[in-house]
Amino acid sequence: MSRRRKIAIGVSMLIAYLLQLSLFPELKILGVQPDLMLVIAIIVAIQDGPVEGCLVGFIGGLAFDLTGSQIVGVGAFSKAATAFLVGIFKDLFVTYTVLLPVFLVFFGGLVEQLLYHGGLAVLGSTGAVPLSPKYLFAVAFYDSLMVFVLFPVLRKFRGSEYSEYLGAIRP
Amino acid sequence: MPGVPRVRRNRIILVLILIVCVTMITVYAREGDNGPLHKIQSFFTDIITPFTSALAKIFRPIRDGIMNIVHLPSLLQEKRELEEQVVSLRREALETRELRQELDRLKALLRWSEENPYKDTVGAEIVAQSPDNWRRLMIVNKGSSHGVKKYMSVVTDSGLVGRIISVGSRSSVVQLITDAQSAVGGRNSKTRETGILEGRNESTLRFIPMNEDAVFKFGDMIVTSGMGGTCPPGIPVGKVTEVRRRGRGLTRLVIVKPFVQFSRLDKVLIIITPEPESAVLKEVQ
Repeated sequence: MSRRRKIAIGVSMLIAYLLQLSLFPELKILGVQPDLMLVIAIIVAIQDGPVEGCLVGFIGGLAFDLTGSQIVGVGAFSKAATAFLVGIFKDLFVTYTVLLPVFLVFFGGLVEQLLYHGGLAVLGSTGAVPLSPKYLFAVAFYDSLMVFVLFPVLRKFRGSEYSEYLGAIRP
Repeated sequence: MPGVPRVRRNRIILVLILIVCVTMITVYAREGDNGPLHKIQSFFTDIITPFTSALAKIFRPIRDGIMNIVHLPSLLQEKRELEEQVVSLRREALETRELRQELDRLKALLRWSEENPYKDTVGAEIVAQSPDNWRRLMIVNKGSSHGVKKYMSVVTDSGLVGRIISVGSRSSVVQLITDAQSAVGGRNSKTRETGILEGRNESTLRFIPMNEDAVFKFGDMIVTSGMGGTCPPGIPVGKVTEVRRRGRGLTRLVIVKPFVQFSRLDKVLIIITPEPESAVLKEVQ
């Protein structure tokens, strides 16, 4: 990963973190807000690879863990694991379509919430919002909408290795 | 990690992330509220709060704009519903006001009925008025089946309205005191001077005193005298608004303005007892 890309991802994460705490709580649709940090982690996992996505997910999740009052580490783990899983899962697709990142983020959104709420439940804690299918799918849907904004932004700062990667998976 | 192969480096990163996560979760779960991770969490939150607070203020107009667009369909729907509610509430308010006014009028009639010796009264509603300009008549929705008889007096809490001149089984015709053919015995409540109150087909009455020298002043109250056998005595009729000589000063003209505002009448009381002497006499005959 090039230095330029690392800076782009870092700045994106910082902006997403601040937006997530200031703007998006006010822009709830159906009572939910998107998880921008997860979306960035998954996009990085798609564009750069599962480990890079995992690292971004870990940092982003940790930042949110430290901001809230939930158990520190659960969010970091769930985002890191989800980004890693999506990065692996992506390789199963032999064709690349524009909607593939949208689908992967939607899928990742479901997985991350299950991991996060499941982790909290195992540890005897509960999330701020009771987990329900409606809530689960609404968050995942909202996350997938964010792809249309974040994916082009992060792709603009991608390194040359991404083009090689795309060339490899595209027919 | 320069010099380390990419695959091995990735494995190390994954294992490290996993170890760090598990360690943090374990430490956080086991430590108390004053533990290091809890303190770091509080510290981090304290640092970030001013930034997020400032950003929230900056983003507020953007947020409002976006929310307005997002909620536009529901806002329009809400606006339509509120407009319908306004129309409905206005109608209800109007109905309530009408009902309150009616209640006030009925209360006043009831109070008058209780305060006066004419205990037996029948409440009636005015259903029609004289269609021509030559008579001052009204039709009420009570008749002989309700105990109404000819010559019975019709009153409101303000005073005398007129008398029944025609009775049907469920309706009666009231001749107003302003009717040109109406004549009622009256008395100056102050001086006790008596006379006859005649209608003029106008909004005022003419009072013809029995005693030509009787003194009438502006504002004197005229009540029924009970003479003539149709109206019970003491019912307020109106007050003197004008006193003038007629012709060459031979007869005085006393103009009385009725207390009752006939144009606003909708409910009246018909005095059942005491029965008018005229009606009793008629029955005896």
